[in-house]
Amino acid sequence: MTLADYLPIALMFVLGVGFASVAMYFSWRIAPKKPTPEKLAPYECGIVPLQEPAQRFPVKFYMVAMLFVIFDVEIIFLFAWAVRFDQFGWAGIAAVGIFVALLIETLVYVWKRGALDWNVARRARYRRVVAPERVQEEAA
Amino acid sequence: MIDYHALAPELLLAGTVLAVLTVDLLRVEKYWVAVVGLFGLFLSFIPVLTLGFCDTLTFCEDTGTRFLFGESYAVDSFSLVLKALFLGSAFVAVLLSVGYLESDRFWQGEFYFLMLSSVLGAVVMASSRDLVTIFVALELVTGPTFLMAGWRKGDPRSNEAMLKFFIIGVLSAALLLFGMSLVYGTTGELTFAGIRAEAAGIRGGDLEALFTVGVLFTLLGFAFKVSAVPFHFWTPDTYEGSPTPVTAYLSVVSKTAGFVGLLAICYLAFRDATFLWGPALWVLAAASMTVGNLAALRQTNIVRLLGYSSIAQGGFILVPFGAAVAAGVTDVQLEEAFFATVTYLLIYAFMNLGAFAVIIAGGNRLRSAEIGDWAGMFGYAPGLATMLAVFFFSLAGIPPLAGWFAKFVMFRAVLSVGGGWAAALAIIAAVNSVIAFVYYAKVVKSAFMDPAPEHVAVADLARMPTVPSLQFALVLTVAGVIVLGIFPGIIAEIGELTKTFASGF
Amino acid sequence: MIITQFVILGAALFALGVYGVLSRRNAVLVLLSVELMLAAVNINLVAFDAFVADRIAGGQIFALFIIAVAAAEVGIGLAIVLLIFRNRRSANVDELDLLKL
Repeated sequence: MTLADYLPIALMFVLGVGFASVAMYFSWRIAPKKPTPEKLAPYECGIVPLQEPAQRFPVKFYMVAMLFVIFDVEIIFLFAWAVRFDQFGWAGIAAVGIFVALLIETLVYVWKRGALDWNVARRARYRRVVAPERVQEEAA
Repeated sequence: MIDYHALAPELLLAGTVLAVLTVDLLRVEKYWVAVVGLFGLFLSFIPVLTLGFCDTLTFCEDTGTRFLFGESYAVDSFSLVLKALFLGSAFVAVLLSVGYLESDRFWQGEFYFLMLSSVLGAVVMASSRDLVTIFVALELVTGPTFLMAGWRKGDPRSNEAMLKFFIIGVLSAALLLFGMSLVYGTTGELTFAGIRAEAAGIRGGDLEALFTVGVLFTLLGFAFKVSAVPFHFWTPDTYEGSPTPVTAYLSVVSKTAGFVGLLAICYLAFRDATFLWGPALWVLAAASMTVGNLAALRQTNIVRLLGYSSIAQGGFILVPFGAAVAAGVTDVQLEEAFFATVTYLLIYAFMNLGAFAVIIAGGNRLRSAEIGDWAGMFGYAPGLATMLAVFFFSLAGIPPLAGWFAKFVMFRAVLSVGGGWAAALAIIAAVNSVIAFVYYAKVVKSAFMDPAPEHVAVADLARMPTVPSLQFALVLTVAGVIVLGIFPGIIAEIGELTKTFASGF
Repeated sequence: MIITQFVILGAALFALGVYGVLSRRNAVLVLLSVELMLAAVNINLVAFDAFVADRIAGGQIFALFIIAVAAAEVGIGLAIVLLIFRNRRSANVDELDLLKL
């Protein structure tokens, strides 16, 4: 296959772009244009909402969701080991041990940073102790 | 038994990543986090050297290419050269970040943690020899950079840069994976050596169409990562919106990692399918050079200009790939093309990091990235203006700065292939080199010849010092660009080592 | 051969994901569409793994890695969306237009 064999693809591409632009051009030329505010409004069913929908979830839910997704799914690597653990022997157990230790280090980090704290006031106190400059940043 | 000597750079770097995370938890000056990171990078550089000069060391048993984990992971001269490049560039990138992060209330500890994780991905990438490893390495490179791009949390431009980069990044990862799944399905292999062996039998068979789609999707995924036109649209926005040291990192380490993955996949896995990737990359190379340079011509923001310039440089790096388009390309010619790409990557790292170092130093003074405000810089900061000229002329390819050698080997590789298509690509590249010179020279001319604008307080700027870490980075890159430009033999020697890789094993 | 149906399912799901990424305004829905694309890839990989009867079950291992990486991506993505929502009170992708040519 050389570049010449790409000709059908190039033709296809040109045809596609050509068709789309011709169609768009004519619909723009031929269509009558008498705009009214109703016509310009984006189409939606039902009544126009007068106010923003109800308040969304507090941020702490997202925080827990993110951490849950990550810690939950990382365990998947244990499956690969679990189906054949008898053949891997002690080396396998050591490897899995290191893997779990890494997860625990991450957990400790997250904990220390106060991300697991449900109580926001307590979290703020943590931060004043662990990272005073961040409190200033957030105040700014 | 696992060869721990061969894995030492990765293990040391992984240890550094954990150390940085731990130091960040301690109540110390955040400055120390960067120091630990720099020390770790230096430490992981040592085993790269001992592995590289194994044949001259008494304690080291030279075994040639070392394969680990089956054929999934290889430590050979190619991967060692690239590992050295990644570690060195990361060293400079950390130096660039220190002053920047100190200058404002950024979350510093995590920044270095993320940057080093990303570097670890790049180092793994250089050795990856199967689809799973290369995918994980690629994600490790890009994942942290999404967060780094949005490091100025309160700045909506930085937010926007981050979101655009993230969406394009995950989209390209999905495309890449789809391609890889088809390649796996048609060949039944995950290692590059296995794919290469199986791919020969596919040609002309039932599965050829599926295999072709798989190869093209895989290339597409990498094209996003190296921001080749027409998959480049995230690049200028992300480069402009991110903090400048992150932009420097993205345009050098992250981009080079993409190219390394592309090199390994094209030259090892799809070695016998040059008829597939040759034409595709020919088009990408020509488009990247032309679009990147033409867009760069009309930029007024210097970071954005370098963004488009790096797209164009990416095109030049792709040119040797595109040269494989010619029918019946021989092993020797492929080796030459491979050599050209690696050489270009090595030199590109020096000059682009240097250019960004100058921009960070200038930006610290002027608080502006508009090219108009940079006029007359020679008057109050002659050293900085001179270095700007050095890096920009190097990017343009003017001897005796290193850039000329990169362009020279690139042209030599294309012309050695011969034939109409390769010649056409050479002509496009030549025209583009001229266009590129115009906008590089315009900035330099403005900095040297034009008077400084009224609102720039020249007297204050003249007294402003450059941060020591930035000075160190500037000295390193300037020395690199000049020494490699005058003695290109050094780079040629290093590049020569990697050639054996291209001829397969 | 039974493999064809799986490949078609995978391709259809993938195309659906691409459509979602390109057409959805809300960043969270874009993220969901990307997950759909990755699910398509996983279907492909597991089906091919059964088809080629790989000795080391490479396809399944690959799928495990993809699931783990996808989770990490979701973590990053949610963090990004959250940050942008805090700053702008909206998670719509097309309202981000500060950076232009």
